[in-house]
Amino acid sequence: MTMADTNRQDALRYLFERVVAPLGFKFTPDEELAAFLLEQEVKLEQDHGAPFCPCQGRTGVRADDMKIVCPCIPFHREHFDRMRRCWCGLFVHKDVTDPGSLPQFPPDEA
Amino acid sequence: MSGPPWVATVDDAKVPEGVPVAVYPKGLPVLVIRRDGELFAVANKCAHMGCPLEAGALDGYTLTCPCHDWRFDIRDGEFLDAPELSLATFAVKVDDGKVLVRLEEA
Amino acid sequence: MADQVFLYALSTCPWCRKAKQWFTDMNVPFEFVDVDKLKRREQSEIAEKVFELSGGRRYPVAVINGEVVAGYNPERYLQLLNSVG
Repeated sequence: MTMADTNRQDALRYLFERVVAPLGFKFTPDEELAAFLLEQEVKLEQDHGAPFCPCQGRTGVRADDMKIVCPCIPFHREHFDRMRRCWCGLFVHKDVTDPGSLPQFPPDEA
Repeated sequence: MSGPPWVATVDDAKVPEGVPVAVYPKGLPVLVIRRDGELFAVANKCAHMGCPLEAGALDGYTLTCPCHDWRFDIRDGEFLDAPELSLATFAVKVDDGKVLVRLEEA
Repeated sequence: MADQVFLYALSTCPWCRKAKQWFTDMNVPFEFVDVDKLKRREQSEIAEKVFELSGGRRYPVAVINGEVVAGYNPERYLQLLNSVG
């Protein structure tokens, strides 16, 4: 990981914090997980043009793919609100202190 | 007169209908847009990752960011997929053939 | 009966890594594919398969003895395995 990559991770943290806070989310307190996910996003941005979700697959159809650019909360809000986290877990509801306890389930499951 | 100043930007004649124009009152990135003859001014910086919006597509009052397709209403700046997020908007008027932008969020 | 486990994963996804680790720790033999590491054409084929199975493109997707589990869900994994639990 280069210095530039680290700087980009910091930039993404700054940009995303401003997006997710008004939506009731914060960065996961699991620092190791957050660092890993941001590292992947910087790589995805370098290789594929945008910081896509590291845990969702691109289809090549722009309308689909733009809905999984981080932070993708606005496009999956009901689902993520029910999980109290986003799919990859980079963001959790503001009151979450134990992110490891939050289950990951698809939108059609309770 | 007190309050935030009106800052002259571009010639009114140089703002065509439906084509966003980037201006920089006191260095601030602002977008002036004429839609159905009415002028609007919004921050020229996407609420997502800060991309400039002047190359974005305008459809009615909806401006789509060229970077990741985030969509905003140019009338109130609202992000269409989450009303909690928005672009700053600015008061705008024409005086003596110039478009003036007031540098305080409307 | 021996368990049949297949895991669709992304190399960039920590929950996919956790799933692989979980099956390894439980001594459950499994096969997997990192979809993003495939060649482009294979990638779309498998991604379509994942969509058919799970109705989405959220990873990981585990197929355990014919049952599909989307998301990292050890509780559900345990329920579906014959050899553990």
